[in-house]
Amino acid sequence: MKRGELLGSLEHIILLALVRLDGNAYGMIVRREIEERTGRNLSIGAVYATLERLEAKGYVSSFTGEPTPERGGRAKRLFRVEAAGKRALQTSNQTIRSMTAGLKGHWGTI
Amino acid sequence: MRRCSPPTFACWLLESLLPDPYREAALGDLIEEYALRIESTSRFTASRWFWSQACRSLPPTVWSLLRSRDCLISISIAIGVYIFMGTLKFAADWMISKLVAPDQSTHVVLAPIVFLTTTVIGGCVAARIRRGATIFLALMVTITVAILIDVKVCSIPVPWWYQFGFLTLGPLTVIIPPTLFGRLKQQGTVT
Repeated sequence: MKRGELLGSLEHIILLALVRLDGNAYGMIVRREIEERTGRNLSIGAVYATLERLEAKGYVSSFTGEPTPERGGRAKRLFRVEAAGKRALQTSNQTIRSMTAGLKGHWGTI
Repeated sequence: MRRCSPPTFACWLLESLLPDPYREAALGDLIEEYALRIESTSRFTASRWFWSQACRSLPPTVWSLLRSRDCLISISIAIGVYIFMGTLKFAADWMISKLVAPDQSTHVVLAPIVFLTTTVIGGCVAARIRRGATIFLALMVTITVAILIDVKVCSIPVPWWYQFGFLTLGPLTVIIPPTLFGRLKQQGTVT
Protein backbone atom coordinates (compact mmCIF):
# COMPACT_ATOMS: atom_id res chain seq x y z
CA MET A 1 0.00 0.00 0.00
CA LYS A 2 1.33 3.44 -0.93
CA ARG A 3 1.71 6.06 1.80
CA GLY A 4 -0.73 8.46 0.12
CA GLU A 5 -3.47 5.84 0.16
CA LEU A 6 -3.66 5.71 3.95
CA LEU A 7 -6.30 7.87 5.57
CA GLY A 8 -5.39 10.24 8.39
CA SER A 9 -7.42 9.83 11.59
CA LEU A 10 -9.51 12.94 10.95
CA GLU A 11 -10.02 11.98 7.29
CA HIS A 12 -11.15 8.55 8.44
CA ILE A 13 -13.64 9.93 10.98
CA ILE A 14 -15.04 12.50 8.55
CA LEU A 15 -15.47 9.93 5.77
CA LEU A 16 -17.33 7.68 8.21
CA ALA A 17 -19.55 10.60 9.23
CA LEU A 18 -20.34 11.27 5.56
CA VAL A 19 -21.30 7.63 5.03
CA ARG A 20 -23.57 7.81 8.09
CA LEU A 21 -25.23 11.02 6.93
CA ASP A 22 -25.82 9.51 3.48
CA GLY A 23 -25.65 12.43 1.04
CA ASN A 24 -27.25 14.99 3.35
CA ALA A 25 -23.98 16.17 4.84
CA TYR A 26 -22.62 19.66 5.14
CA GLY A 27 -19.88 21.03 7.38
CA MET A 28 -21.85 21.78 10.53
CA ILE A 29 -23.87 18.53 10.38
CA VAL A 30 -20.64 16.56 10.00
CA ARG A 31 -19.10 18.47 12.94
CA ARG A 32 -22.19 17.78 15.08
CA GLU A 33 -22.32 14.08 14.13
CA ILE A 34 -18.67 13.64 15.16
CA GLU A 35 -19.21 15.53 18.41
CA GLU A 36 -22.27 13.45 19.31
CA ARG A 37 -20.60 10.13 18.55
CA THR A 38 -17.02 10.71 19.71
CA GLY A 39 -17.20 13.74 22.01
CA ARG A 40 -14.55 15.40 19.85
CA ASN A 41 -15.33 19.11 19.45
CA LEU A 42 -13.89 19.99 16.04
CA SER A 43 -13.70 23.47 14.60
CA ILE A 44 -15.58 24.16 11.39
CA GLY A 45 -12.26 25.19 9.79
CA ALA A 46 -10.75 21.77 10.54
CA VAL A 47 -13.81 20.00 9.08
CA TYR A 48 -13.77 22.00 5.84
CA ALA A 49 -9.97 21.84 5.45
CA THR A 50 -10.21 18.03 5.72
CA LEU A 51 -13.21 17.82 3.38
CA GLU A 52 -11.30 19.97 0.89
CA ARG A 53 -8.34 17.57 1.09
CA LEU A 54 -10.61 14.55 0.63
CA GLU A 55 -12.20 16.19 -2.39
CA ALA A 56 -8.76 16.87 -3.90
CA LYS A 57 -7.99 13.15 -3.48
CA GLY A 58 -11.23 12.26 -5.25
CA TYR A 59 -12.72 10.55 -2.19
CA VAL A 60 -15.66 12.92 -1.87
CA SER A 61 -17.56 15.25 -4.18
CA SER A 62 -19.49 18.38 -3.32
CA PHE A 63 -22.29 20.49 -4.71
CA THR A 64 -23.72 23.83 -3.66
CA GLY A 65 -27.23 24.09 -2.24
CA GLU A 66 -29.61 27.04 -2.23
CA PRO A 67 -28.76 30.11 -0.09
CA THR A 68 -31.13 30.47 2.88
CA PRO A 69 -31.95 33.51 5.09
CA GLU A 70 -31.12 31.67 8.36
CA ARG A 71 -27.59 31.23 7.01
CA GLY A 72 -27.22 34.95 6.26
CA GLY A 73 -27.98 34.32 2.58
CA ARG A 74 -25.13 31.83 2.26
CA ALA A 75 -25.43 28.53 0.44
CA LYS A 76 -24.72 25.10 1.94
CA ARG A 77 -22.01 22.96 0.47
CA LEU A 78 -23.18 19.34 0.53
CA PHE A 79 -20.76 16.43 0.38
CA ARG A 80 -21.05 12.78 -0.60
CA VAL A 81 -18.60 9.90 -0.59
CA GLU A 82 -17.38 8.67 -3.97
CA ALA A 83 -16.42 5.08 -4.88
CA ALA A 84 -12.71 5.88 -4.33
CA GLY A 85 -13.58 7.17 -0.83
CA LYS A 86 -15.47 3.96 0.00
CA ARG A 87 -12.50 1.90 -1.19
CA ALA A 88 -10.12 4.01 0.93
CA LEU A 89 -12.38 3.47 3.95
CA GLN A 90 -12.46 -0.28 3.37
CA THR A 91 -8.66 -0.40 3.06
CA SER A 92 -8.22 1.69 6.18
CA ASN A 93 -10.67 -0.40 8.20
CA GLN A 94 -9.01 -3.58 6.95
CA THR A 95 -5.58 -2.24 8.01
CA ILE A 96 -6.84 -1.40 11.50
CA ARG A 97 -8.53 -4.83 11.80
CA SER A 98 -5.33 -6.59 10.72
CA MET A 99 -3.20 -4.62 13.15
CA THR A 100 -5.55 -5.10 16.10
CA ALA A 101 -6.22 -8.80 15.47
CA GLY A 102 -5.05 -10.91 18.39
CA LEU A 103 -4.31 -7.92 20.62
CA LYS A 104 -7.35 -8.36 22.86
CA GLY A 105 -5.24 -9.53 25.78
CA HIS A 106 -2.87 -6.57 25.43
CA TRP A 107 -5.38 -3.73 25.81
CA GLY A 108 -4.64 -3.40 29.49
CA THR A 109 -0.94 -2.84 28.83
CA ILE A 110 -1.20 -0.59 25.74
CA MET B 1 -37.92 36.69 18.56
CA ARG B 2 -34.39 37.48 19.71
CA ARG B 3 -31.90 39.29 17.49
CA CYS B 4 -29.37 36.74 16.28
CA SER B 5 -26.52 38.38 14.44
CA PRO B 6 -23.20 36.75 15.31
CA PRO B 7 -20.17 38.80 16.49
CA THR B 8 -19.33 41.13 13.62
CA PHE B 9 -15.58 41.20 14.15
CA ALA B 10 -15.38 37.39 14.26
CA CYS B 11 -17.35 37.29 11.00
CA TRP B 12 -14.96 39.78 9.37
CA LEU B 13 -11.99 37.75 10.53
CA LEU B 14 -13.39 34.51 9.12
CA GLU B 15 -14.49 36.18 5.92
CA SER B 16 -10.99 37.57 5.50
CA LEU B 17 -9.03 34.45 6.35
CA LEU B 18 -11.04 31.42 5.20
CA PRO B 19 -10.04 30.27 1.71
CA ASP B 20 -12.38 30.92 -1.24
CA PRO B 21 -13.60 27.36 -1.84
CA TYR B 22 -15.34 27.03 1.51
CA ARG B 23 -15.56 30.56 2.96
CA GLU B 24 -19.27 31.06 2.25
CA ALA B 25 -20.29 27.55 3.29
CA ALA B 26 -18.32 27.57 6.55
CA LEU B 27 -19.55 31.02 7.53
CA GLY B 28 -23.14 30.07 6.66
CA ASP B 29 -22.83 26.92 8.81
CA LEU B 30 -21.59 28.95 11.78
CA ILE B 31 -24.35 31.55 11.41
CA GLU B 32 -26.96 28.77 11.20
CA GLU B 33 -25.69 27.04 14.34
CA TYR B 34 -25.29 30.37 16.15
CA ALA B 35 -28.99 31.09 15.50
CA LEU B 36 -29.90 27.65 16.93
CA ARG B 37 -27.69 28.13 19.97
CA ILE B 38 -29.04 31.58 20.76
CA GLU B 39 -32.53 30.05 21.02
CA SER B 40 -31.43 27.53 23.63
CA THR B 41 -28.68 29.44 25.51
CA SER B 42 -27.79 33.06 26.27
CA ARG B 43 -26.45 35.47 23.69
CA PHE B 44 -23.16 35.57 25.60
CA THR B 45 -22.72 31.76 25.51
CA ALA B 46 -23.60 31.63 21.81
CA SER B 47 -21.17 34.46 21.03
CA ARG B 48 -18.43 32.77 23.05
CA TRP B 49 -19.02 29.58 21.06
CA PHE B 50 -18.86 31.55 17.79
CA TRP B 51 -15.58 33.21 18.82
CA SER B 52 -14.10 29.88 19.88
CA GLN B 53 -15.05 28.36 16.50
CA ALA B 54 -13.58 31.37 14.67
CA CYS B 55 -10.27 31.25 16.57
CA ARG B 56 -9.93 27.47 16.40
CA SER B 57 -10.71 27.47 12.67
CA LEU B 58 -7.74 29.66 11.80
CA PRO B 59 -4.78 27.28 12.48
CA PRO B 60 -6.13 24.41 10.28
CA THR B 61 -7.00 26.96 7.61
CA VAL B 62 -3.51 28.46 7.57
CA TRP B 63 -1.99 24.97 7.69
CA SER B 64 -4.04 23.79 4.71
CA LEU B 65 -3.04 26.97 2.87
CA LEU B 66 0.63 26.22 3.57
CA ARG B 67 0.19 22.66 2.32
CA SER B 68 -1.59 23.67 -0.86
CA ARG B 69 0.12 23.84 -4.24
CA ASP B 70 -0.67 27.56 -4.49
CA CYS B 71 1.34 28.34 -1.37
CA LEU B 72 4.51 29.39 -3.23
CA ILE B 73 2.57 31.68 -5.57
CA SER B 74 0.85 33.34 -2.60
CA ILE B 75 4.19 33.83 -0.80
CA SER B 76 5.75 35.32 -3.97
CA ILE B 77 2.85 37.77 -4.33
CA ALA B 78 3.12 38.68 -0.64
CA ILE B 79 6.87 39.38 -1.02
CA GLY B 80 6.21 41.54 -4.09
CA VAL B 81 3.52 43.55 -2.32
CA TYR B 82 5.72 43.82 0.77
CA ILE B 83 8.48 45.44 -1.32
CA PHE B 84 5.88 47.74 -2.89
CA MET B 85 4.64 48.71 0.61
CA GLY B 86 8.22 49.42 1.72
CA THR B 87 8.77 51.69 -1.29
CA LEU B 88 5.46 53.44 -0.64
CA LYS B 89 6.31 54.03 3.02
CA PHE B 90 9.79 55.26 2.13
CA ALA B 91 8.32 57.71 -0.41
CA ALA B 92 5.70 58.93 2.09
CA ASP B 93 8.33 59.43 4.82
CA TRP B 94 10.54 61.36 2.38
CA MET B 95 7.64 63.59 1.31
CA ILE B 96 6.65 64.27 4.93
CA SER B 97 10.24 65.15 5.86
CA LYS B 98 10.21 67.70 3.00
CA LEU B 99 6.82 69.18 3.86
CA VAL B 100 6.76 69.09 7.66
CA ALA B 101 9.47 70.30 10.00
CA PRO B 102 11.24 67.36 11.71
CA ASP B 103 9.63 67.34 15.11
CA GLN B 104 9.29 64.41 17.55
CA SER B 105 5.60 64.90 18.32
CA THR B 106 4.74 65.27 14.61
CA HIS B 107 6.59 62.06 13.91
CA VAL B 108 4.72 60.20 16.66
CA VAL B 109 1.39 61.30 15.16
CA LEU B 110 2.24 60.80 11.49
CA ALA B 111 4.08 57.46 11.78
CA PRO B 112 0.96 55.35 12.55
CA ILE B 113 -1.09 57.18 9.90
CA VAL B 114 1.51 56.47 7.20
CA PHE B 115 2.03 52.91 8.43
CA LEU B 116 -1.68 51.99 8.57
CA THR B 117 -2.42 53.64 5.21
CA THR B 118 0.42 51.64 3.67
CA THR B 119 -0.82 48.36 5.18
CA VAL B 120 -4.40 49.01 4.00
CA ILE B 121 -3.16 49.71 0.45
CA GLY B 122 -0.85 46.68 0.56
CA GLY B 123 -3.63 44.42 1.83
CA CYS B 124 -6.03 45.56 -0.88
CA VAL B 125 -3.41 45.10 -3.63
CA ALA B 126 -2.50 41.61 -2.36
CA ALA B 127 -6.16 40.57 -2.05
CA ARG B 128 -6.86 41.88 -5.54
CA ILE B 129 -4.15 39.61 -6.95
CA ARG B 130 -4.75 36.59 -4.69
CA ARG B 131 -6.76 36.39 -1.48
CA GLY B 132 -4.44 33.86 0.21
CA ALA B 133 -1.48 36.24 -0.18
CA THR B 134 -2.92 38.60 2.47
CA ILE B 135 -2.29 36.01 5.21
CA PHE B 136 1.40 35.80 4.32
CA LEU B 137 1.60 39.58 3.98
CA ALA B 138 0.02 40.03 7.43
CA LEU B 139 2.55 37.55 8.83
CA MET B 140 5.44 39.48 7.23
CA VAL B 141 4.11 42.78 8.63
CA THR B 142 3.84 41.26 12.13
CA ILE B 143 7.40 39.90 12.00
CA THR B 144 8.76 43.23 10.69
CA VAL B 145 7.02 45.26 13.42
CA ALA B 146 8.17 42.80 16.12
CA ILE B 147 11.78 43.06 14.90
CA LEU B 148 11.61 46.86 14.71
CA ILE B 149 10.24 47.01 18.27
CA ASP B 150 12.91 44.59 19.48
CA VAL B 151 15.83 46.52 17.94
CA LYS B 152 14.32 49.78 19.27
CA VAL B 153 14.43 51.53 15.90
CA CYS B 154 12.30 54.36 17.31
CA SER B 155 14.57 56.71 19.28
CA ILE B 156 11.61 58.64 20.72
CA PRO B 157 10.26 57.25 24.02
CA VAL B 158 6.71 55.98 23.39
CA PRO B 159 4.26 54.10 25.67
CA TRP B 160 3.88 50.32 25.32
CA TRP B 161 0.35 50.60 23.87
CA TYR B 162 1.68 52.71 21.01
CA GLN B 163 3.98 49.87 19.93
CA PHE B 164 1.32 47.26 20.70
CA GLY B 165 -1.03 49.18 18.37
CA PHE B 166 1.44 48.78 15.50
CA LEU B 167 1.80 45.08 16.28
CA THR B 168 -1.94 44.31 16.31
CA LEU B 169 -3.41 46.86 13.91
CA GLY B 170 -0.69 46.28 11.32
CA PRO B 171 -1.73 42.71 10.38
CA LEU B 172 -5.43 43.47 10.92
CA THR B 173 -5.36 46.38 8.48
CA VAL B 174 -3.79 44.07 5.91
CA ILE B 175 -6.47 41.40 6.34
CA ILE B 176 -9.78 43.14 7.10
CA PRO B 177 -10.12 46.16 4.71
CA PRO B 178 -10.14 44.05 1.50
CA THR B 179 -13.12 42.10 2.93
CA LEU B 180 -14.95 45.28 3.94
CA PHE B 181 -14.35 46.95 0.58
CA GLY B 182 -15.43 43.75 -1.18
CA ARG B 183 -18.65 43.67 0.85
CA LEU B 184 -19.37 47.35 0.16
CA LYS B 185 -18.78 46.77 -3.55
CA GLN B 186 -21.10 43.76 -3.44
CA GLN B 187 -23.83 45.79 -1.71
CA GLY B 188 -23.39 48.53 -4.30
CA THR B 189 -23.86 46.00 -7.11
CA VAL B 190 -26.97 44.49 -5.47
CA THR B 191 -28.65 47.87 -4.90
